[in-house]
Amino acid sequence: MLSSEKRSLFRFLLIYLGSTFLLFSLASWIFYSSGKHHLLDKQRETIKYEAEHIKSVLRVLHQSNDAKLVYPASKVIESAIYDLDKAYIFGTFKTKQTLDNIKDKTKLYHVLKMDPYYLGAAYLLASKTIDFKPIENLQKNIILFMLGAGIFFSILGYFLGRLFVAPMRDSIEQMNHFIQDTTHELNTPISTILTNIEMIETYGKYEQSKELQRIEIASKTLSRIYEDLTYLNLNNDYYREVELVNITKLIEERMVYFSTMLQSRGITIRLELIPEKILKIDRNDGVRLIDNLLSNAIKYNKKNGTLTVKLTEESLRIIDTGIGIAQKDLKDISKRFKRANKSEGGFGIGLDIVNQVVNSYGFVLHITSQLNKGTEVEIRWKK
Amino acid sequence: MEKIICFFALLCIVGHAQDVNIEDKQQLQKECLQCHVEQQIPSALIYRRYLMKYSTFERMEKAIFTYIKNPDKKRSIMPSQFFLKFPMKEKTMLDDDTLQKTIKSYLNTFDVKKKLVLPQ
Repeated sequence: MLSSEKRSLFRFLLIYLGSTFLLFSLASWIFYSSGKHHLLDKQRETIKYEAEHIKSVLRVLHQSNDAKLVYPASKVIESAIYDLDKAYIFGTFKTKQTLDNIKDKTKLYHVLKMDPYYLGAAYLLASKTIDFKPIENLQKNIILFMLGAGIFFSILGYFLGRLFVAPMRDSIEQMNHFIQDTTHELNTPISTILTNIEMIETYGKYEQSKELQRIEIASKTLSRIYEDLTYLNLNNDYYREVELVNITKLIEERMVYFSTMLQSRGITIRLELIPEKILKIDRNDGVRLIDNLLSNAIKYNKKNGTLTVKLTEESLRIIDTGIGIAQKDLKDISKRFKRANKSEGGFGIGLDIVNQVVNSYGFVLHITSQLNKGTEVEIRWKK
Repeated sequence: MEKIICFFALLCIVGHAQDVNIEDKQQLQKECLQCHVEQQIPSALIYRRYLMKYSTFERMEKAIFTYIKNPDKKRSIMPSQFFLKFPMKEKTMLDDDTLQKTIKSYLNTFDVKKKLVLPQ
């Protein structure tokens, strides 16, 4: 799966699952609240029933002439009777409960007003410890439902997401196939042209004419584009032979490679390289890194401008005096197919390759630029 | 020494209270219950009727006091048919203080709270 496809799928899933989760949470909360009320009401009904029973027994006791009046204590609830001034008369509570100060949240209370006042009782307070088991079961069921719904909607969302990004995936795949086919087809003619130019220069005894120079530049540009595209295409499967590479030497070699192009644009070169800078890197990655930075610095430089290459123990800095990049574009400049300026040719893959190499080796890429003044690209080596 | 004085003082107070209670009970017996028993007027029933209507000790005391001071069918706790069988009580000759003590004694004698027990 492509990274852009993954990103789109992830965003889709985030919105889809997020909104579904919110909706289900709300529904579950409403269901839980009403369910809890229903369960508590059921328990309250028991208290009410028991309270009515006590009331009827109190009526009988009121008329009794027995020496002892046995208070109708219930096994299910606790109860107490109070007179008209809410003073405690009698009850089954372990500690005397006042009517105006009922606080215990683990119990359900019911106050029954009595008239006439049998045995002087104007109020009957009935109480029962809440049975939390059915409420806990309800919570468990809701959590299980949420889990089940979460799994179901995640799977559904994944397939819907795949359907959602399918057109984008097809377009990207088509483009990648096109690039793959194009690069393959370009390889042979470019190699032929470059080989023949070298042969003409070596055996043809022709003095290097401007026309031949232009052909050489164009062929090298094509060759580089081909190599960049191949690099991007094979990036995941690309075998890297990490070795100790003399970066100073490599930069000098690549400067020779770009010399024709630099000459044709009249660019002055300033090389400030420390001798024998060794880096642990795959040679091809090193070439891609330097080539892309140099190519950009040449391509977007002004005619007769200056190109400065500074290599230190800590970093490589390539400074041009070109058209520069607007501040708003700097943030996204290293993304694939992103081009800040379309006045020059290219696919916008150069800095994407640089970025990939930099990330692979733990380097840090830092770009500063001013419009119409130039750009400085700095790569800080891993410490 | 102080403990002994306190003990005797307490003994005196309790003894005095008991004497007062006995006096009040004797007063109640003489002024009320004696006649009630002779005329077979159910004192306990009357108490229950007061209790059922007034609920608290203070309210009952007030209502009984008002009735005894001015006995009247309208003020009575008993239904009108009751007076077909039993004569209307005569106006009391007791002074207010003695009457109140006697009423309290009456309420204490028939207090149902003392009878209430939890099942075994």
